[in-house]
Amino acid sequence: MPFFKTIHWVVWKDLISEWRTRETMSSMLFFALIVILVFSFSFSMDQDAARQLIAGIIWVAFTFTGIIGLGKSFTSELQNDCLESLQMSPAPKGAIYLGKVAANFLFMLAVEILLFPLFVLFFNLDVIEAVGTLLIIFFLATLGLSAVGTLFSALTVQIRAREVMLPVLLLPLAVPVMIAAVEATRGALNGDPFSFYSQWIHLLIIFDIIFTVVSFWLFEFILDS
Amino acid sequence: MINRIIRQIQRYKGWFGGGAALCIFLGLYTGLLASPPDYYQGELVRIMYVHVPLAHTSTLAYSVLFGGSIWYLWKRDPLVDNMCQASASICALFTTLALITGSIWAKPTWNTWWTWDPRLVSFTVLLLILGGYLMLRRLVDDPMRGGRYAAILAIVGGIDLPIIKFSVEWWRTLHQPMSFSTRGVSISDDILIPLTLMSLGCWLLFAYMVMVRTQILYLTDLLHAKKGRLLSQTHFSQTTP
Repeated sequence: MPFFKTIHWVVWKDLISEWRTRETMSSMLFFALIVILVFSFSFSMDQDAARQLIAGIIWVAFTFTGIIGLGKSFTSELQNDCLESLQMSPAPKGAIYLGKVAANFLFMLAVEILLFPLFVLFFNLDVIEAVGTLLIIFFLATLGLSAVGTLFSALTVQIRAREVMLPVLLLPLAVPVMIAAVEATRGALNGDPFSFYSQWIHLLIIFDIIFTVVSFWLFEFILDS
Repeated sequence: MINRIIRQIQRYKGWFGGGAALCIFLGLYTGLLASPPDYYQGELVRIMYVHVPLAHTSTLAYSVLFGGSIWYLWKRDPLVDNMCQASASICALFTTLALITGSIWAKPTWNTWWTWDPRLVSFTVLLLILGGYLMLRRLVDDPMRGGRYAAILAIVGGIDLPIIKFSVEWWRTLHQPMSFSTRGVSISDDILIPLTLMSLGCWLLFAYMVMVRTQILYLTDLLHAKKGRLLSQTHFSQTTP
C-alpha cells in the first residue's frame, strides 16, 4: 500500500544518499567529539561528581548533535527542487513525515551508540549492568527528539535564519523529553533499582506517543504551499 | 469592508478596559490595604494577589492561542490569525510579569530568587515557546505561511500547558498546591475576595489588550492590501471590492 511503501522509499533515499556522501554522520560525529572535549575541560570532576553530572552531559551532547542531523535532513532537500517535489507528490504527507522521522532516528541512534563508549572511556563510567536499560532510554528519547525535531526541521527550512530557529524552536519543546532522559540515565548509571526511575521511562513513552501523533497530524500543513 | 467583528471590538473595547481598571483598582485596594495579613506569611502574602492572577491569566492566554491556532489551521480566517498573534504577545507579557512577581515573592519566602522545580521550569519553557513564536512571525515573509507555521508551533507548544497545571501534583515541589478544586474552596473569604477581583481584572485586561492589538494588526493588514503593496501576498487579495 502506498503509505508503507512511501515510508520505505523515504528511509531508503535518506540512507542511500547518506551512504554515498557520508556528510551528515561525519559532521555529527566530529561535532559530538568536540562537545565531549569541551565538557571534559569545563568540569574538574572526581568520581562522585562525574556520576552526578555525566547523565546531563551525555544528553546535552546528544541533543546538540541531533540538532545538526535534523537540520541537514531537510536542508539537503532544498537542492534540485526536492522539497517542491515532496510538496507536489501524491504520496501521503504523513508517510513522508514518518519516513523522515525513521531516517533521522536511525542516524541519531547510530551516533549515540558510537559515542557512548567514548563517554565510558573518557569519564571512566561503570556501565556493564546497565547497558540494556541505557539502550532502551536512548531509543525512546531519540524517538521523541526526532519526532518533534523532524516537524520543526521541515518548518524552519524555508524561513530566514533557519540554522538559528531550529534549536530556538525545538529545545523548549524537547525539555520534557530531555529531563526524563537525563533522570532515567542518571538512575541507570547510578545502579538504582529500576522502580526508582521507571516513572521517567513511562514519561518518555508518553511523550513519544504525544509528539509523534501531534506532529504526524500537523506535518501536512507544512508541506502545503 | 471592515469586518463586522472589528466594528464590535471598536464599540465594546472601552467596556472591557474600564471594567478591567475597576476590578484591578478594587482588587488592589482590598488586597493591599483592606485585608488582614496571613497567619504564616504576614504581609508577604499580598504579592499573591498580583502573582496568582497574572500566572493563571497567562495560561488562559495560551489556551486562547492554542484554540485560535487550531481554528486558524481549520478555517484559515485572517482575523483569527491576527488574534493569535495578539494573544501570543500579551501572553508573553503576562508570563514575564508572573515570573518576576513570583521571584520577588520567592526571595523572602523560600530564601532564593529562583529554583528549578517543575512548575517554574515548565512556566519558563512556556515563555521560551512564546519567544520562539514571536521570532518565527517576524522571520517569515509570506503572511499566510507565517500564520500556518506559527499555528503549528503554538499547537505543539500546548503540550506544555498540562505539564504546568499538573506539575505541582505529579512531583513534590516547593510550590503550593491548588487551593481551588472540585472538593470545594479551601481558603477564607478575606483572601478570596481580592483574589477573585484581581483575577477578573486580569482576565478583562487580557481581553482588552488582545482586542486592541487584534484591531491594530487587522487594520494594518487591510491598509497594506488597499495600498496594493502586498497585493499578491496578503489574505485580502481575494476580497478587495
